[in-house]
Order: sequence, then C-alpha cells, then structure tokens
Amino acid sequence: MQSNFGITPGAQAPLSTLFNQLALLAVCGSLVEAFFYQFAFNEIPCPLCLLQRAAMILVGIALVLNLKFGASAVHYAMILVSALVGGATSMRQGLLHIAPGDPGYGSTLLGLHFYTWGFVFFVGMILFCAVMLCVDRNRMAFTRPLGLGIVSSAIIGLFLVLIAANSVSTVLECGVGPCPDNPTAYLFKF
Amino acid sequence: MIMILPFFTALIAVGLAWRGQRGLAIGGWLLTLIIFVAWMKFHMTDPLNISL
Repeated sequence: MQSNFGITPGAQAPLSTLFNQLALLAVCGSLVEAFFYQFAFNEIPCPLCLLQRAAMILVGIALVLNLKFGASAVHYAMILVSALVGGATSMRQGLLHIAPGDPGYGSTLLGLHFYTWGFVFFVGMILFCAVMLCVDRNRMAFTRPLGLGIVSSAIIGLFLVLIAANSVSTVLECGVGPCPDNPTAYLFKF
Repeated sequence: MIMILPFFTALIAVGLAWRGQRGLAIGGWLLTLIIFVAWMKFHMTDPLNISL
C-alpha cells in the first residue's frame, strides 16, 4: 500500500511539460502576432492593448515557473489570477466599442477584433488550468529547479526576447509617462 | 504612471525564474500584478459610453 496516496513529488510528467510548453508558445505567438500588426500595419497599441499584453506576460511567467520548477498549484493559481485580470481588461475594451455604429479599435482577424481574441485567450487559459490541475494532480508541490531541455529553453528565451521587445516598444510609444488613450504616433521615431 | 514598469518587472521575474530563484520570481510576478492593477485603475475607470 502506498503511504503517500500515489503522490510523486519531484517528477515532471512529459505530458505536463508538453502542455506547458504549448501554452507558453501560445503566449509567445500572441505577442508576435501583436507585434506583426503593430509594425507591418502601423497599428500603435492603445493602453488597454498594452495591458492585455502585460496580462499575457503574467500568464507566461507562471508557465515558465511550471517548466523550470515542475507543476505547482501556486503556479496554476498565478495563471488563473493573471487570466482573470487580463480577461477583465479585454472585456472592458470590448464594452468601450459595443455601442451601435462603433467600428471598434484596430484591425480584425477572422472577423474578431484583437481584444475579443484576447478575451478568448484568457478564457482558454482558465480552461487550460482546469485541465492541467487534473493532469498534474499527483505531481504538485515540487519547488526545486529542474533541468530545462532545449525546447523549453528555446521557448523561454523567445519569451524573454518578446518581453524585452515590448519594453522597448512601450518606451518608443509612450516614453516614461502615461500613453495617450488613442495613440496616433510614436513619441520617439525610429 | 510609467507604462514600461510592468514589462520591466516581468523581465526581471522571468530572469529570476531562469536562474532558479523561485521565491523571488513569484515576488516579481506579484509586483508586476500590483503595478498592473494600478495601471488598470488608471486606464479603466472612465465611464462607459453605454449608460442610459
């Protein structure tokens, strides 16, 4: 009879690693897509757009912790809180443009504005936590660093580059003060 | 409100996680979240244009 009720702390399930890698890739993909529209179509992000990017990065930090230290209920709680505040921001921006005749802010992708996609993303992350809390139910509470594989290291490296790029982009747009509500030009030209 | 701040603290948090500093990384995440909420209050408390 198992004395620990089948709990095997310290083991990182391959499935858990794979799903966390895919989720972090989804975060990176969303940030890359936002950058693509920002620079290819000169769509300068509004403050609420930047907030949604920051919330995605908050989600990503918890995913990095899952990859580096193994799955933990604390990390999934961090994702849930991040997704809640991010979803609230997306919903707020949607409500700003809900009145009849309002064209919305920015381009659309597959018929939906990016803040709507943002809301879908954050709801998806909440569902991700629901699934992963089942997948990792017997492997929680491990807090020592694990060895990162090449794939995890590459994805985390990409994530770091994207956060740094967002920092630079935000300074170019807003300097070190508040961003305008409807930005039309960068504060610093490049 | 310094708009770069949450991105900057997030960068530090990920760097700390990469270096194996879990507690400090979670602290960095928490600091980023606090700045985020302050930022939300600054940008999201105007009245909506849907009131009757």
